[in-house]
Amino acid sequence: MSAELLINKVSKEFPGVLALNEVNLTLTGGTVHALLGENGAGKSTLIKIITGIYLADSGSLKVSGQEKRFHNPIESTHAGIAVVHQERNLIPEFSVEENITLHNPPLKLGIINRKERTRLAKQALETLGFEIDLNERVKNLSVAQMQLVEIAKALVTNAKIILLDEPTASITGSETSKLFDVIKRLKSQGTAILFVSHKLEEVYEICDTVTVLRDGVSVLESKSLADYKQGEIVDLMVGRHLAERKNIIRKVDRKATPVIELKNLQTSLGHRNISLSLYPGEVLGMYGLVGAGRSELARSILGLHAITGGEILVNGSVVKIRNFTEALHNYRIGYVTENRKEEGLFLDFPVRKNISVTILAKILQRLSVINPKKEDDIATKYVDRLGIKVVDNNQLALTLSGGNQQKVSVSKWLAAETKILIIDEPTVGVDVRTKASFHELITELANEGLSIILISSDLAEMVAVADRILVMRRYEIVGDLDNSKDYQNMSRSIMNSIQAV
Amino acid sequence: MKLPVFFRNRMTEFSLSVIFIIGFLALVATSNGVFLSRASLQGFLTYLAVPITIGLAQMVVLCIGQMNLAVGTMGGVSCAIMAVLMADHNLPIWLAIFIGLFSATAIGAINGALVVLTQLNGFIITLGTYTILLGFQYRLVKTFTIDKYPSSLPEFGKRNFVGFPYILVIALLTAIALSLFFSRTIMGRRILATGGNPIAARLSGVSNNKSIFIAHTLSGLLIGVASVITISSLPGINRSIGGDWLLASFAAPIIGGVLMSGGTIAIYGTVIAAGVVRLVDIARAQYSLDPSIVSLSVGVVTLSTVALSEWRRRRTERQNEGIKGSP
Amino acid sequence: MKLKKILNDQRVVLTLLTIGLFIFFGLRNSAFFNVDFVIYPLLRDGATLTVIGLAQLCVLSIGHLNLAVGRMAAVSALVAGASYQYWGLTLVQGAILGVLAGALLGAITGWIIVKSQVNAFIVTLAMDFALLGLVTFIYVTFTGATAAFTTKPAGMDYWRSKSLKDFCVAGICGPKSIPMMLLPAIICLILVSFMFSRTRLGRELLSTGSNLRAAKLSGIPVENRVMTAHIFSGTLAGIGGLMLAYANGSFTAAIGSQVMLPSFLGPVLGGTLLAGGAVAVLGTFIGTMMTLVIRQGLSVQGIGLETLNIALGLVLLLALSVGQIQKMFTSIKLRGKK
Repeated sequence: MSAELLINKVSKEFPGVLALNEVNLTLTGGTVHALLGENGAGKSTLIKIITGIYLADSGSLKVSGQEKRFHNPIESTHAGIAVVHQERNLIPEFSVEENITLHNPPLKLGIINRKERTRLAKQALETLGFEIDLNERVKNLSVAQMQLVEIAKALVTNAKIILLDEPTASITGSETSKLFDVIKRLKSQGTAILFVSHKLEEVYEICDTVTVLRDGVSVLESKSLADYKQGEIVDLMVGRHLAERKNIIRKVDRKATPVIELKNLQTSLGHRNISLSLYPGEVLGMYGLVGAGRSELARSILGLHAITGGEILVNGSVVKIRNFTEALHNYRIGYVTENRKEEGLFLDFPVRKNISVTILAKILQRLSVINPKKEDDIATKYVDRLGIKVVDNNQLALTLSGGNQQKVSVSKWLAAETKILIIDEPTVGVDVRTKASFHELITELANEGLSIILISSDLAEMVAVADRILVMRRYEIVGDLDNSKDYQNMSRSIMNSIQAV
Repeated sequence: MKLPVFFRNRMTEFSLSVIFIIGFLALVATSNGVFLSRASLQGFLTYLAVPITIGLAQMVVLCIGQMNLAVGTMGGVSCAIMAVLMADHNLPIWLAIFIGLFSATAIGAINGALVVLTQLNGFIITLGTYTILLGFQYRLVKTFTIDKYPSSLPEFGKRNFVGFPYILVIALLTAIALSLFFSRTIMGRRILATGGNPIAARLSGVSNNKSIFIAHTLSGLLIGVASVITISSLPGINRSIGGDWLLASFAAPIIGGVLMSGGTIAIYGTVIAAGVVRLVDIARAQYSLDPSIVSLSVGVVTLSTVALSEWRRRRTERQNEGIKGSP
Repeated sequence: MKLKKILNDQRVVLTLLTIGLFIFFGLRNSAFFNVDFVIYPLLRDGATLTVIGLAQLCVLSIGHLNLAVGRMAAVSALVAGASYQYWGLTLVQGAILGVLAGALLGAITGWIIVKSQVNAFIVTLAMDFALLGLVTFIYVTFTGATAAFTTKPAGMDYWRSKSLKDFCVAGICGPKSIPMMLLPAIICLILVSFMFSRTRLGRELLSTGSNLRAAKLSGIPVENRVMTAHIFSGTLAGIGGLMLAYANGSFTAAIGSQVMLPSFLGPVLGGTLLAGGAVAVLGTFIGTMMTLVIRQGLSVQGIGLETLNIALGLVLLLALSVGQIQKMFTSIKLRGKK
């Protein structure tokens, strides 16, 4: 079989991060090719280059032997590439059938041919073996249904190359097996399929070949999957240097009163029977796949979503936290968000103002006037402490690299002297060295007595940093494991508890 | 109970129709049938044509999540141009109408181009063009009333087709054409896609800038149609034309079910909402209340409609969120 | 180097431009330097519009708009006027009542926005229409054909016509060209500037405008801040409304009907971001003065109201495009550096 898609030494740099560094990938017709890697390894960037959302800085891309440079998604579609993106890309007010045919609506005399549109959409959905009212508006669908519409949308173009970016993240087991039937059928018809997933079992079930990315480098290039054991793949994904790092098991006093305790918590989002305890100075890891409901749980605790049952205890007494203001000022809880640009930083503010935002009340002089000296001193303190690379405290947050931005985002909570810190995916999109220094920082903070809940989809990070690991799946806690810091054993037990349910 | 898809998506329009019918019958009853007389029915229908058209003009821009503050002065300038051309330069009616339509469309295109070039919200751009056009309007009309143009135009405004004034027929045909444009043509669907989810639209090959430009241009064209209707239904043109269009242009689509956030249209809703507002106006005249009451009540109703639809949207969003966790 | 830095400040450029325009118009027609007919009214209008510009600036700081500024001003004038006419209140008592009415309207607007989560644009637009109806209705109902409250409390004309010349300390009096009306405007400028640049409240407002979600997650009570911004906006609009009424000499429904565009022009020309997060308080005053110099200058040249509108609209669009072009240049520079 010929190579439908050939990627040769493709690189892409973003301010502060080399997202892809001379990556190679060969995708052959009639095969399912797994693209694996941790969060931030560069998978999404690569897919965005193949689909014309980003333009590569260097390297070449060949489709069916022809050299291509896609400047926009349309060019990529015309070249016969279809994609199911991780993010939902549907028009909420449009009907199911229209969304399915969005790329290329059938026309008759320049007018949309509705009969043909219905036929095409119906055909695509039948291929998927999935029933839904074609005239229903997409905004009224469930998340899983939307995901299936996305997939149908890719099928309808009759593409030679189909990219599936985490297609099973939000659909059920039976829907997944239907999807796999479709993938097998497409494969037998000669379609080349690139399959991105965090679920290794699924990858082994459906894929033939594999490419592994780590920190923007293709560490395994288009090899036969059968030649590698699951453990070997995991090692390649996380890198030996992290997995084998010397890790000391920290002592945590589990007899003390937990600083925060959840008892049978239920939320309006669908969390059920969530019980957990965080002890003083502990780093409690919360692992799960994308969509497991971890960030949502954290935000519910802090009052963003309604608690519908159970209770929250802080330092042994039952509390009701209504919003982030109360969480910060009454209970000393901070939350480092995973979306630092959208939720963590004031990009057009200087570093100084970004750090002082949580402590305005503490740096006041008369008439509620901010004391500029105090503000600057505190900013300097944390810039030095975390090693944030800035020209001065007045540098705009916008101009910092990803890792430094993340440090600024953490600084404001340290400045506020919180007792409990929830850190959500701290190292997504930061380079390896910064990642390691972040892990050290977290341990250091815990040694100083800060209690930390660490949310991460990065297994190696979890094993390296957490004292105890909770595993979440579909808004429930399905595992509670003491971290032995032995990567092989821990990753196996964690995977087992996810798959066991 | 689950209603069929067709009805669930059209609840607003359905309820508005019921309100319209009840309001209409109430007016007939309280006026002892006078409202059904030829003259008053004519008045009702004739002055319905402009609110419908300007409501549609605003709707086109609302559906890409923007707004057009210049509807009034765009209409005023277009009317002034037509009147001046016919009265002072003796241009034939058809040519004047063509130039009137063209100038409104061109202004819309300028709005669109400025929005795309500056990447600013349409609100602030149209606030600027609003002011500029107000200047042009005053300059063209000065303090006079221009009525020295062929009387065949105002006469056309009075003619009717089995009781329906021709100008209302024009407005309704425009609505039907617009509805076909949005439901059946690629460009129409693309504009709606831009309004509904610009990122997804871009990934599907829609040029959002083009959608924005076309929507503003189309808004201009519809204002042109409204101007032609205005000049045919009034005895003369003065500087106050268009001064009271802004509220009406927002009220009809918003009450009719169009979301401020973009992505939706409701053509029938806009038409019927314009009818309901018109009924309020008639009722006010009948009970001889001050005209300011209409403005007050329409303002309040518009606000509550927006608040209600926003509340509903949030509720659905919450429900959808809940589904994530269920197995 | 230092000169370049000074020239880069938008405020300096605007001031120089305003003075330049002023001299230009004066040289074209010396009537423009007339104190009684040009300079005094120019500064008096400038004072009023600056306060209303600040009302707009307060909501711009959080990324909102207030399309009802003019009508809030009208309500404030209405309440003050009614209190003078029917309840015989003194100038100050009525003024306090009027400003409180403005603040209350701002609070109602802010409350609706927070509770309904509806775009501030549409809430204030609908508010504008509702108030337009209400104000007209009240004037017509209570005063019939005159449609105005004409009772002038003692001291009202003082603000309308007195200048620093009437304000003497130890026998030295100020120039005749500076109207007393400038005093409240300067107080408002100082207070608003102080609040945004120095206080916690100002910082919290700007943080809310810069990134609402980040502000919320950082423990800033964003809903309260949205309310605060609208209350300030209503209050300042109320003060502006009273100043308009005092300058006008009577209380009518027309008060505030012409201020919507100027309320944006001042802050935007001065360098306030429409998106929120950055304000230019002094810039608002300079921007307002510039638009007024253009307006008065053209009108002294004998150019009518219509051309003024065209000029002001063009100034707004130009100012906005300049900001955009600047942004484009900076991003090109940033890319070049990399």
